[in-house]
Amino acid sequence: MARMKFLCDADRCIECNACVTACKNENDVPWGINRRRVVTINDGKPGERSVSMACMHCTDAPCAAVCPVDCFYTTADAVVLHNKDLCIGCGYCFYACPFGAPQYPKLSNFGSRGKMDKCTYCAGGPEADLSPAEFQKYGSNRLAEGKLPLCAEMCSTKALLAGDGEIIAQIYKERVVKRGYGSGAWGWQTAYRETIAI
Amino acid sequence: MSFGAHLRFLLSGLLLALALAVAAPAGAQQINPTANSVREQQFLDALKQNPSAELRGRISIPDTRAATLERPAGRDWRTFHQGTMVRIGAVAVLGMLVVLTAFYLFRGRIRIEAGPSGQTITRFNGFERFMHWLTAGCFIILALSGLNVTFGKALLLPLIGPQAFTNLSVAAKWSHNFLAWPFMLGVALMFLVWIKDNIPNLGDLRWFLAGGGLIGKGHAPPARRFNGGQKVVFWAVVLGGAALSVSGIYMLYPSFSGGVLDMQFWNVVHGIVSVLMIAVMLAHIYIGSIGMEGAFDAMGSGEVDLNWAKEHHALWVAEEIEKGRAPGATLQPAE
Amino acid sequence: MLIKRKSADVQRGRLQSALGGLAAGVMDRRSFLRRSGLVAGGVAAAGTLQIGAVRKAEAASPGPATGTKIVKNVCTHCSVGCTVKAEVANGVWVGQEPAWESPINRGTHCAKGASVRELVHGDRRIKYPMKLVDGKWQRLSWDQAVSEIGDKMMEIRAKSGADSVYLLGSAKFSNEGSYLFRKFAAFWGTNNVDHQARICHSTTVAGVANTWGYGAMTNSYNDIRNSKTVLFMGSNAAEAHPVSMQHILAGKETQRANVIVFDPRFTRTAAHATDYVRFRSGTDIAVIWGLMWHIFQNGWEDKAFLASRVHGMDDVRKEVEKYDPKTVEDITGVPAEQMKRAAQTFATVKPATFVWCMGVTQHSVGTANVRAICNLLLATGNVGSSGTGANIFRGHCNVQGATDFGLDVSNLPCYYGLVEGAWRHWARVWNVDYDYFVSRFDEVPAKGGRPARTRKANMETSGHTSTRWFDAANLPAEQVDQMDNLKAMFVMGHGGNTIPRMPDAVKGLEKLDLLVVCDPHPTNFVSLGGRKNGTYVLPICTQFETSGSRTCSNRSLQWGEKVVEPIFESASDYAVIYKLSQKLGFAEAMFKPYEMVQGKIGPEPTAESILKEINRGGWSTGYTGQSPERLKLHMANQDKFDLVTLRGAKGSPVENDFYGLPWPCWGTPEFKHPGTHILYNTSLEARDGGGTFRPRFGLTRERTLPDGSKVNDTLLAEGGSFSLNSEIKDGYPEFTMGVLKKLGWDKDLSPAELEVITGIGGNNIDAVSWSTDLSGGIQRVAMEHGCVPYGNGKARANAWNLPDPVPTHREPIYSPRVDLVAKWPARPDERTLRIPNLHTSIQKAAVEKGIAKSFPIVLTSGRLVEYEGGGEETRSNKWLAELQQDMFVEINPADASDRGIRDGAFVWVSGPENGSKARVKALVTDRVGKGVAFMPFHFGGFFQGADQRGNYPPGTDPIVLGESVNTVTTYGYDPVTGMHEGKVTLCQIAAA
Repeated sequence: MARMKFLCDADRCIECNACVTACKNENDVPWGINRRRVVTINDGKPGERSVSMACMHCTDAPCAAVCPVDCFYTTADAVVLHNKDLCIGCGYCFYACPFGAPQYPKLSNFGSRGKMDKCTYCAGGPEADLSPAEFQKYGSNRLAEGKLPLCAEMCSTKALLAGDGEIIAQIYKERVVKRGYGSGAWGWQTAYRETIAI
Repeated sequence: MSFGAHLRFLLSGLLLALALAVAAPAGAQQINPTANSVREQQFLDALKQNPSAELRGRISIPDTRAATLERPAGRDWRTFHQGTMVRIGAVAVLGMLVVLTAFYLFRGRIRIEAGPSGQTITRFNGFERFMHWLTAGCFIILALSGLNVTFGKALLLPLIGPQAFTNLSVAAKWSHNFLAWPFMLGVALMFLVWIKDNIPNLGDLRWFLAGGGLIGKGHAPPARRFNGGQKVVFWAVVLGGAALSVSGIYMLYPSFSGGVLDMQFWNVVHGIVSVLMIAVMLAHIYIGSIGMEGAFDAMGSGEVDLNWAKEHHALWVAEEIEKGRAPGATLQPAE
Repeated sequence: MLIKRKSADVQRGRLQSALGGLAAGVMDRRSFLRRSGLVAGGVAAAGTLQIGAVRKAEAASPGPATGTKIVKNVCTHCSVGCTVKAEVANGVWVGQEPAWESPINRGTHCAKGASVRELVHGDRRIKYPMKLVDGKWQRLSWDQAVSEIGDKMMEIRAKSGADSVYLLGSAKFSNEGSYLFRKFAAFWGTNNVDHQARICHSTTVAGVANTWGYGAMTNSYNDIRNSKTVLFMGSNAAEAHPVSMQHILAGKETQRANVIVFDPRFTRTAAHATDYVRFRSGTDIAVIWGLMWHIFQNGWEDKAFLASRVHGMDDVRKEVEKYDPKTVEDITGVPAEQMKRAAQTFATVKPATFVWCMGVTQHSVGTANVRAICNLLLATGNVGSSGTGANIFRGHCNVQGATDFGLDVSNLPCYYGLVEGAWRHWARVWNVDYDYFVSRFDEVPAKGGRPARTRKANMETSGHTSTRWFDAANLPAEQVDQMDNLKAMFVMGHGGNTIPRMPDAVKGLEKLDLLVVCDPHPTNFVSLGGRKNGTYVLPICTQFETSGSRTCSNRSLQWGEKVVEPIFESASDYAVIYKLSQKLGFAEAMFKPYEMVQGKIGPEPTAESILKEINRGGWSTGYTGQSPERLKLHMANQDKFDLVTLRGAKGSPVENDFYGLPWPCWGTPEFKHPGTHILYNTSLEARDGGGTFRPRFGLTRERTLPDGSKVNDTLLAEGGSFSLNSEIKDGYPEFTMGVLKKLGWDKDLSPAELEVITGIGGNNIDAVSWSTDLSGGIQRVAMEHGCVPYGNGKARANAWNLPDPVPTHREPIYSPRVDLVAKWPARPDERTLRIPNLHTSIQKAAVEKGIAKSFPIVLTSGRLVEYEGGGEETRSNKWLAELQQDMFVEINPADASDRGIRDGAFVWVSGPENGSKARVKALVTDRVGKGVAFMPFHFGGFFQGADQRGNYPPGTDPIVLGESVNTVTTYGYDPVTGMHEGKVTLCQIAAA
């Protein structure tokens, strides 16, 4: 099976936010929930880079490890998903996540966060593939339709890559070799304990 | 996580945002943004210096937390939560149970040496007992619901299945959130009411040196209303309770607590203090119930046997007698 | 760990989709409802909606799933022209899929394109016609609304003339809509018809067309993949044209190309540059001449190119001598070394292309700026071949097409101008008597010392520009060169917050007797000011709810298919223009050539039949070959086009065609011209998409030599410059019947063609030209002999018909460098089009009043990626609005700390005119240099601190409102096109 990963080529990312709205569009994500976002580092300074970030679907995912009710699971494609029926909204996954991926419908105080929501790699949830219940809780399941996450598919400059880790690493590697620069596979060391050696 | 790293994590836990240094443009003439681009390696290097470093940038949405691109410290928290926390918890709780069992086997129930006198003395009035039980009752549920967060997944989930466990955990979470408030009230009251009797003094030192009379034969040095051991419990409850309250409130109100690193810090504080406190409380429960004859009455009826009181709190009994509030002085109606 | 999903499930899903295409059968009604957002929307809307709600309910009715249909349309935001692939089920747009096959966007989108589905679900759309009665919005039927509007227009016409009704059109129209609106203006009898190109690239069109013939991007986004040097100036493509960056960054990587960004602001585009050059706003000409100084000094110019294809570069050389590095550094702030490096790179690392946008055009010297850049391109030989060119990124999805079809005060469709010949040409195409149009125009009385104008003269006089519509309402009638002041604005698809001097616009709005706003969302015209009566809003559908073609920046046409029926009570532009024409009494004459179909609010013409009429008349710009059938064929075969050359693959139905048949696509559709990917490209045959510079300004020009004698320089190409396989191996003029006869090529005309030509020419058949011959015969014959129909001329470095024939630096009207104003003053006061243009008076007054001291910060403006134009549409889109919730001003950290301003705090930005001020959030950033501030221009709905949300019809207010930058921007107008000075003024900022 493929080992699905995301890779944002910051030397291509222009912070156009297509990934953000594509995600909202595809999964009917409500206002206030940002499954994906684009962060600009060193904004306004020469050397500025923007990186699109969402759940990286980590190897040995910290969210899954700390979840007190064990509501996470990893698919055969190595996509880290969770079961909203089991989630108790405790926020531990947000503490543990290195990428700020978990989102909660309510940011209000007194422990009323609601069920956690995060990027599903457009792979739905534990319900039957492409069922209404799955869409309602998790959004679309493109993986089951043989498609990749829409954020990456619609990325304006093809900065955001999604797919099997080895394949996208290869694409990135070739780009860096061809152009002679690359600011790194942002988040890979943290998420996958590996970097892409050029 | 090594102990050193752990310590660093705890100490430096508060937000240390990292702005990556810009490689200065080579000469004012050439500004080549591509060549000068910020690299992930700079961040990874910075992480070696400070594992709590996080990488922040600018984002247009109002949620400033989303401006943090990477925060590998989450991994440290995870290691803590899944490793250290579990070990400390297990050692503290199980260790204390082992110690108490051993103690019981070794020492047995501590009897009133002189035997019950038949006469009683008022040790705690109704309000004091209410306050104690309020705190104690809350604490037990808080402790169990708290332990569930760390141990439930391993111990309970396999037994009752995911959905039941989630239901239980939700109930546990809500009871934890709500019972925290009466618990805090109880701790605050105890502090106000009992502080005057719990100022440590030299007598306590002697009491400790004598092993509190629990080990071996013979009496401990005479104590006033609270002996050294009880003062330890008092201060454990007050300080521990305060730490749990502060850290708990921060966790309940994320918008006041700052960033996630703060939340992680408070979570660590909350976890460690609570298991230590649970251990202390186990000992307290032991000694207040099966561990010592006559002790439970203090919080039960509030009336303790005079002999028990004389054996453990001789100075206090003397004071009470002096104030005329104990048998042996002129009889007065109690309260 | 739970493993709930079995791998077998995943496999099955994949297999299913691989075999069955889309997973249509699996979507039941509930998921369908969820996906279409109907559950929430339907309930919320139930109380107010009529037709739309019914439709939605019908669409959502239970029953067997009918399968998903894929419809292709084109993104309605910028001009890149990204294909939008819509999944439609039961008449509801349920999802967007990547259109991998489009050679332009290859499946991708920016934030706006990825969220267009929301536009046709948006519950903040205008749902039905409304009018303002004593400050309250009242619902009307379409019939009643159009009837009242028509009566009012006729009343105004009777009293103040046709010119007092301003017809403001839109770059959001389809080509067919644009054309129809221009035709409508002709039937109404006014040249006061304009659209967003005025405030976007009008100066580009003027500058570029006056240099080498046509006012458009010379190459394409895709072609930039061939460039070895890409120079951006005043363009922030990363935010304004994000998908273009796909091609640019790919080119940067594969070619190891230099990307040089000249901008006062360190933009997201600059972040990807290999060389970033910061310069002072409003000093573009000094920058370009500074580059040219180094080029001439070092002999880096392309001498062969100049000799054969350019006229008048020596005049430029003379001007450029004044711009030595020291002078340039003083004016622009760019160090000499940096200038030299950029000049050398641009001139020697070829092919090089120059990309510019509003940073160059929106100036009181906009046309001159553009002309300077054209000269740089000419001097370095970077025009007319792949990887080179003036890559002008246009702003709106069809601003190129709307410009082409004459939504412009000085043109009939396809740049025929307003001369009698032009009118006669279009009258012929429209099959309406020429004299009818003459009768429709006003007679203008003599006033203000100006002579009177007859109807015919008024018909041939350029109209009033949209940048100053309020001046035409506010100024004393004597100063306005038409029958009366402006009394009515009929606005279709145009924002009210996109031009400077909003406090004056407020006054203008209050003076109008009639304001009609036709738009999917109420624009700022509706919310601004304190109108109580006489405002109408009409709900117009988006281009996703109708069909038609649109022209991207690279001149390619793409056919958009209707995705869903117009929602609520909205109607298409076609339907509304028809309905109003009917009311005004000229529908029959105007619409007789078209195939009419029954729409929601009445009959409407099909886009196909309008395009066919365009094909019959658009000879001058080569809009004749793009029949609806060919365009649809291209959309169906998008995957057959090459990514870089845009050429259709061999053996495919679109073999040899360039994608979208970029104009000029000469001759009739049957002639099968492939379109022109790269303008003026002599390396291709004329009939294969090749071209030459267009001789438009005579054949020779007299020049006085130093000894006083005179010579005539040819304006035709020399030195063996001609398009591939041309039978005329030299320069040649445009083709007319007379020229054909001289060459003996008239014999190649078919009898049918000759008959048409004879019919047109009457007794002067020789004068019938390539642009007036409705048979296309002259074009066909010219091309069969390898010639370009418009001739083979030289580009003009010196455009002697323009106000500054050779551009010269002029300080902005509000300049921070008061010391430079004396040496580099603004132009003297003059009249531009119909009103006074007081460059010097205002500049002098600013200097005398010490404006630069009290308003020490240079203010510039620009785009955000999430929003577009006036922004109502995008600010009403919840997926976009969430990303930019506050209007802001970018301020340098040094300026902020001087003023005690912290990031995110509210500030007052005040402008030097009208005591204007705007309350916005501070964004403290190094993007702007010290002494510079930047504000985005998509906001509206707040005015000088006051929230105007209540002014929108209930339920139609955009989610996000904010102050418009144009509240504080100021006077300044280009002398050629009336373009406003939107990119440089002065301001002061203080903590609020």
